Amino acid sequence: MTARDTHFKCLNCGHEYDGVYDPDKVTERTCPQCRSNSVRRLPEKKATAKK
Amino acid sequence: MMDVGRHPKVELMTFSEVESITGFVGNFNVRVRQKARYVDASECTICAECAEVCPVAIPDAYQQGFSSRKAIYLPFPQAVPSAYVLDMENCLGNNPIACGKCAEVCEKKCIDYDDQDKFVDLEVGVIIAATGMDVYDPTAYDEYGYTRYENVITSMEFERLICAGGPTDGHFIRPSDRKAPQSIGFIQCVGSRSRDGRGNPYCSNICCMNTVKDTLLLCDHYPGIATKVFYMDIRAFGKGFEDLYMRSREEGVRYIRGIPGTVVENPENGNLVLTVENTTTGQLEEHELEMLVLSQGVIPRRDGDQIKHLLTLSTTSDGFIMESHPKLKPVDAPTKGVFIAGCMESPKDVKDSVTQAGAAAARASILLNAGKTRIEAITSQINSELCNFCGICAKVCPYNAILAPDRKAKKAPIIIQAACAGCGACAAECPQDAIGMRHFTNDQIMAQVDAILAVEPQKHLVTFACNWCSYAGGDNAGTARLQYPTSCRLIRTMCSGRVDEKFIMRAFRMGAPMVLVSGCHFADCHYISAVRWTQKRMDRIWSKLDRLGIRDDRLRLEWISAAEGQKFAKVMRELEDKVKSVTKEEIEFTMKVLAEEEAKAQEKKAKRQLEVTVL
Repeated sequence: MTARDTHFKCLNCGHEYDGVYDPDKVTERTCPQCRSNSVRRLPEKKATAKK
Repeated sequence: MMDVGRHPKVELMTFSEVESITGFVGNFNVRVRQKARYVDASECTICAECAEVCPVAIPDAYQQGFSSRKAIYLPFPQAVPSAYVLDMENCLGNNPIACGKCAEVCEKKCIDYDDQDKFVDLEVGVIIAATGMDVYDPTAYDEYGYTRYENVITSMEFERLICAGGPTDGHFIRPSDRKAPQSIGFIQCVGSRSRDGRGNPYCSNICCMNTVKDTLLLCDHYPGIATKVFYMDIRAFGKGFEDLYMRSREEGVRYIRGIPGTVVENPENGNLVLTVENTTTGQLEEHELEMLVLSQGVIPRRDGDQIKHLLTLSTTSDGFIMESHPKLKPVDAPTKGVFIAGCMESPKDVKDSVTQAGAAAARASILLNAGKTRIEAITSQINSELCNFCGICAKVCPYNAILAPDRKAKKAPIIIQAACAGCGACAAECPQDAIGMRHFTNDQIMAQVDAILAVEPQKHLVTFACNWCSYAGGDNAGTARLQYPTSCRLIRTMCSGRVDEKFIMRAFRMGAPMVLVSGCHFADCHYISAVRWTQKRMDRIWSKLDRLGIRDDRLRLEWISAAEGQKFAKVMRELEDKVKSVTKEEIEFTMKVLAEEEAKAQEKKAKRQLEVTVL
């Protein structure tokens, strides 16, 4: 699997942003707005619908 | 190196590469590829006749490209074994032989064009890794003009130019006109202590004293040379280092506190004009120098991923190999039986590297002499009757402690107890619940969840905290007398990787308004990469909550280190407010939905067990 653009959502402040997700290189997620680590990678279908 | 080569108990395998490492402490199997040298090292007398007739000339990497070497060459003067090597990539060809001059002149007939790589299998008890480091490439700092201006060189190149065994036999000259420079400048921290993304944020540790040594060498060899050092801080913290630094100043070396912003070459004479803000005087200054040395920083090896993968090691955020414990086990790798030394762990000078190597050797000999090792009390155990041979456990184990199952032969995976460190990621990921953890069994953790939520569950925040970081972070908050809500209830697991979906769902099923999973920051994980599985699992659980119509923000994830007591207290205070926002109806709905889910799962499980019994 390769790295791909993904939509992330912070469950603490609700901030949503785009980032790169690489299943082979899982990195620590931090919300750029509130610094919480409760950042969810939204499933692709859901992310597309939101966009 | 020569001593090591001669030692009766040391077998030095040079020009070799480790291909694979399997096994565990006391029983490692290492496969080494001994590359073809095409020269019989035991016969070669380094007469150099082969190199004299070789028609190929390529830049010599050992001399930093300042001189050339032949396709058949001695890698460096002190090479062990002291024998030539044929660089087949640059040789004119051996199939068919296009040149063959070296073989013709070799009286000892030690050149063999048909030489092949050999594989050697070793059985070893412990492994000490000391793979070193690389140096930072300063081309990213375009303003210094490295590679644009001939007279801008790196500290490594300086080392070759001033060395008696270097390309100029120790005559220090500047590359543009091969004249001895009358003025020279050093720029410190190139690629170190940088926050602009071009360099690394850490201090490379050795560059300051390397420059001080270089300035003293210059003063000694060329007394009239004007030397200036541009720095932000001189870190002379070792034994005798401050004296060395003061001696350099007394010799007339000018230390200017400020890092140059631009370097421009005067095309007429090749001199370099530096513009710098002297932060001591607050003045903008210009300095014309005949030569400039960039004191480049140290970086982790560029092929570090390979060794990391071979030994199942983890790295810190700066890319150096992480030790088992920074204070108590500084030379132990997290994988049992593996020790680390030198710059692969962090940038350090020769003295520190030797000290660490000695410590690693001593630690290794303790294990070897004991002949046996203690295994962790908390390890995984498998119930082969429940296993469906999917192999997920072997995939998630950060220590390669699980031998993969054989689906065709219906052979369950085997957990190597000596290699298991007890993170519990396998137990949490097993879809069949076939893996349990000693002392942290599913039943024990479930019982804790039930106990927490037995009375007024709607008021409690269930928190799963990893033993090493988050739980210690809670302790830190307590000892620092930081205020956090009393509604927070902690369940300790050895690693957040142990937190099974079942535990979280059980908490919600029992009426928990919110659940928090907390663990170490990725760079601090005591179980190499187990924490990464926590994040992956959380994504899955959030999706499941969504599917069941339960708010995903009721399940939280936070990485809290042992030192982050303040963060621990802050997170708890924030979540206390969120707990209050969860309505009674929501909790009841969650309990109902999850009760139905649980019933379905139990029905499925009973059906499966019946099938197994019938079979």
